[in-house]
Amino acid sequence: MASTFAAVFEIVSFGAIIVLVVLGLGIIASMMGIFNFAQGEFVLLGAYVTYLAYAHGAPVWVGMVAAPFVVGAIGFVLEALIIRRFYAAPIVAMLGTYALGLIIRESVRGLIGGFYLTVPEPIGGSIDLGSVHISAWRFTIIVITLLVMGGCYLLLSRTSFGLRVRATLENPALARASGISTPLIYGATFAFGAALAGLAGALIVPVFSLFADLGIRFLIQGFVAVMVGGVGSFIGPVAGAGVIGTLSAALPWVMSPVVADVLVFVLAIAFIKFRPQGLIAGKGV
Amino acid sequence: MGGAREAVARIGEGPDVVTGEGAPAASAPAGRTSAGWKVLPIVEGLVLLIALVLPWVLQDYLTVFATRVVILALFALSFDLVWGYAGIMSFGQALFFGAAGYGVALMARDLNVTSILLILPAGTLIGLTASLLLGGFLLLGRYPSSVIFVSLGTLTGSYAADRLARGWYYLGGQNGIPSIPPLTLGSYEFEEGPVYYYMVLGILVVTYLLCRFLVRSQFGLALAGLRENEQRIAFFGYKAQHLKAIVFAIGGTIAGLAGSLYAFHEGFVWPNMLGVVFSTQVVLYVLFGGSGTLIGAVIGTVIIEGVSFWLSDNYRDVWPIILGVLLLLVIMFRPLGLISFVLGERERVGSFGKEPGKGPSKAAKKEAGNAAP
Repeated sequence: MASTFAAVFEIVSFGAIIVLVVLGLGIIASMMGIFNFAQGEFVLLGAYVTYLAYAHGAPVWVGMVAAPFVVGAIGFVLEALIIRRFYAAPIVAMLGTYALGLIIRESVRGLIGGFYLTVPEPIGGSIDLGSVHISAWRFTIIVITLLVMGGCYLLLSRTSFGLRVRATLENPALARASGISTPLIYGATFAFGAALAGLAGALIVPVFSLFADLGIRFLIQGFVAVMVGGVGSFIGPVAGAGVIGTLSAALPWVMSPVVADVLVFVLAIAFIKFRPQGLIAGKGV
Repeated sequence: MGGAREAVARIGEGPDVVTGEGAPAASAPAGRTSAGWKVLPIVEGLVLLIALVLPWVLQDYLTVFATRVVILALFALSFDLVWGYAGIMSFGQALFFGAAGYGVALMARDLNVTSILLILPAGTLIGLTASLLLGGFLLLGRYPSSVIFVSLGTLTGSYAADRLARGWYYLGGQNGIPSIPPLTLGSYEFEEGPVYYYMVLGILVVTYLLCRFLVRSQFGLALAGLRENEQRIAFFGYKAQHLKAIVFAIGGTIAGLAGSLYAFHEGFVWPNMLGVVFSTQVVLYVLFGGSGTLIGAVIGTVIIEGVSFWLSDNYRDVWPIILGVLLLLVIMFRPLGLISFVLGERERVGSFGKEPGKGPSKAAKKEAGNAAP
């Protein structure tokens, strides 16, 4: 019983991490139609900002709070300078963001060297439930993921900003005619997606430690999750991330990890092939 | 649907008219072709000439490096055919390259087969089979697949293969398969150096000429149509998905050939060969050199690999950053690659069928096409 509970906790906490990483990716893909190959590097930047704050003597949580704002600001600038040119062509956008990601990744690699740098957990220790010990920080990640998810949902569905974003997604020309500044909305959406990635990076760096290829590890899983969930809505990618994250954490418990690893991708691609609209079809929230 | 009607009017003029029209950039200046001579054959000839004399000029270890570049150029050619001509974004081209590499490495390790007469056909066959399977799955079906799905599907395939190779003990795990014996022909062994170089160069030239013939044939015309406007091609009665699957398989075949040559040249295979690293590298080569021209793929490979080799002593850490910046600049300001500095749009798109200069000029035909009701 205890081990089952521990396993379930492992699975849920990994699922939460994937959801957290995919949130930003999904928002950018759904609301802007861009598959952002640099998203993994935004995660990396978030982790790096946290590390920098920690290395300069600030408490870890200060870095974690700062990371989304810093990465969001970087995202806003990049959108205005570069990403903006790619909206017309999704494939070109992929290549362009890939190049951008390459620049960020290699710059960070140059800054940290080939090391694995550790950042301590701001909330250490474990929570004891009878005979089971679960990591307090992983539990915190689950809670924060739920909060962020709820916050994003409310932001997109209940606020006027969310309405504008959805209007821009639905019909850009009409949105412009109604006086919505679509370039500004695109910029804000992209910055928001980048900020979420920065937050994800900041939260997971104590678990995975900081290394240059941190972001890449999640990128392809993230894309697959977005496709499985369905591009076009907010809920779709989140649902996809939940499924992919849970599957990739759960399958290794019942079969050889190598087979499980590959099987998740094969299943996901087959699923997308036969249901291209994804788990949750439709546009909107 | 004015566009479609226009196109129908144009296709009546003969096949050489429609491609020029299909390209969105057809209004671009005609380049330097107006003088009556063409740039493309000159560039191709120059590249071939340089490639032929290289081993005499270079030291031995540089010839070994040049051989690697030639093999990678063959690999780049396969991607260029798929992306530059048919517009299929294959982000997982390394899957076929690496699968063939692993396949022939296993043949050499477990079956002691090193004869070139068996290895190269086997590698080619592996590439063909893998690309037929993956391409058939991703591209064929009741509904046409979206561009995004195909690109992410190939990327995922390549990534999954990489992970599989890393975790599978039989394939050597992280370390791959080391110490592959040299290729043989009878009792002769192909060692690294000029002989291997010329063999690979010969294969590249033959493949290049085959591709050149292919993209200038009626099949190539249909491919160019696919790239520019898939729906229009479907309206003309072509089976767009089948065309895509065929060209994807051809690309995979060439990648397989390149992969088997690479495995025996390097003497080992490792998981990166299958994975995202090589897959994206080949995209960089082609984008940089100029997609949609075969020679652009070759030039891009030579420049990127050459500069990377040259810089690797002093600026190893900075080079990937420079590469990223250059790539971003090319994508933003020179989407047709470096080759577009010397090659005009009209020549890039090329002519199909009749030679230019015979019959009325293209511009005149364009006028006629536009005037037709």
